[in-house]
Amino acid sequence: MRLKLIACEVLFRELCQALADTPHTVDVQFAPKGLHDIGAPGMLARMQQMVDAVDEAQYDAVMLGYALCNNGIAGLTARGIPLVVPRAHDCITLFLGSKEKYHDFFHANPGVYFHTAGWIERGTDAGELQQLSVSHQMGMDSQYKDLVEKYGEDNAKYLFDMLCNTTRNYSGIAYIAMGLGSDSAFEEQSRRDAAARGWSFTRVEGDMRLFRDLLEGRWDEADFLVVPPGQSIAASHGSDVISITA
Amino acid sequence: MTDLQELYTAVLEGDAPSAKSLVQTALDGGADPQELLAKYMIPAMDEVGRLFEANEYFVPELLIAARAMKGALELIRPKLVAAGAKSAGKVAIGTVRGDLHDIGKNLVAAMLEGGGFDIIDLGVDVSPEKFVEAAREKGADVIAMSALLTTTMPGMKTTVDAIDQAGLKGKVKVMIGGAPVTQRFADEIGADGFSDNASGAVRIARQLLA
Repeated sequence: MRLKLIACEVLFRELCQALADTPHTVDVQFAPKGLHDIGAPGMLARMQQMVDAVDEAQYDAVMLGYALCNNGIAGLTARGIPLVVPRAHDCITLFLGSKEKYHDFFHANPGVYFHTAGWIERGTDAGELQQLSVSHQMGMDSQYKDLVEKYGEDNAKYLFDMLCNTTRNYSGIAYIAMGLGSDSAFEEQSRRDAAARGWSFTRVEGDMRLFRDLLEGRWDEADFLVVPPGQSIAASHGSDVISITA
Repeated sequence: MTDLQELYTAVLEGDAPSAKSLVQTALDGGADPQELLAKYMIPAMDEVGRLFEANEYFVPELLIAARAMKGALELIRPKLVAAGAKSAGKVAIGTVRGDLHDIGKNLVAAMLEGGGFDIIDLGVDVSPEKFVEAAREKGADVIAMSALLTTTMPGMKTTVDAIDQAGLKGKVKVMIGGAPVTQRFADEIGADGFSDNASGAVRIARQLLA
């Protein structure tokens, strides 16, 4: 098959490894991590633009290196060729290798923040997308001194506490090791980050299965949604995560 | 007599110290607490909501206005209660099980408090049982739930079901919100109200209890 992959840059290393091994011919387009920060309607619009820009005569299907991503792909429509999407709430399912494993880990460890190589190296600064981000619009990325200048000391303290401490309820970092050569440096960085915050640190073994299944065309119904031409993706709010809507 | 238009302005501009001192001076001077509330403070918050929805006010302005309102209300409320006035209602609010993201929840709680509601803040990662208990034992009129993740949204349905099973359906109203939550989802799970912003949440809570 000749396939097009549109993927989030957070998955860069894992996808590149799986791409090297796939029997199919794949063209790849990576998009910025910051798409996640601009709200679902903004992300959807940009995702649809990328899908619409695919030269469909060249490919058998378009694969997404994305999850539901807080509804950022809900409403995305397949045009002339199928769209293949992992059944996942977010990329942690992809890194852990199954949505069930993620579900169990998530509910057993509610205060854990996940780190991966891509998440760390692609940073927290959304670049040009930062201005459009929901956190920016809400003032969550404000500097304390700017708040003081705008609202006075008394209100600034209150606002900073209310809006800017986005991880106050977290208590640990889990680094997902994918078995890549780069793991140890990123794991070390996560460990230091956890220590600096006084959080616990856990190393979790990742699983390349879903990356490989996606790129090798094993689109099992349980793990992937294949959206036929003309139909769209919807959030299902069930264990299948996403479904098709006409 | 203090110029009470200043009270309106202090709430509108989020100046909590001025709002409080103006209310205190007015009360000391024998002003009618109900009048302070109805003629100056509530109209100020209504204007805050209008400015927010017109994109002239943003979340920080909303928050500091609600804070000024709350400060002023704390001085007025004992007098209102003594005079037999009722609060706008009691809202138990929390993030659903598994969800630890409480900025939105705190925002809504602050706005509701500024809107004259009594708040039972259940915090984060709240189980369906805890929401039910708030309705049954603490007399909440409204259960307000938020979720930031699609992963945790099913907890809203579980909670609505638990409320039904506890025989509280119709007796307590349920409203939901949070980045991935939609009106459609609210309809699907049988929630009574939905808002995608904190200012709208106050309007919804009022409608539900009207």
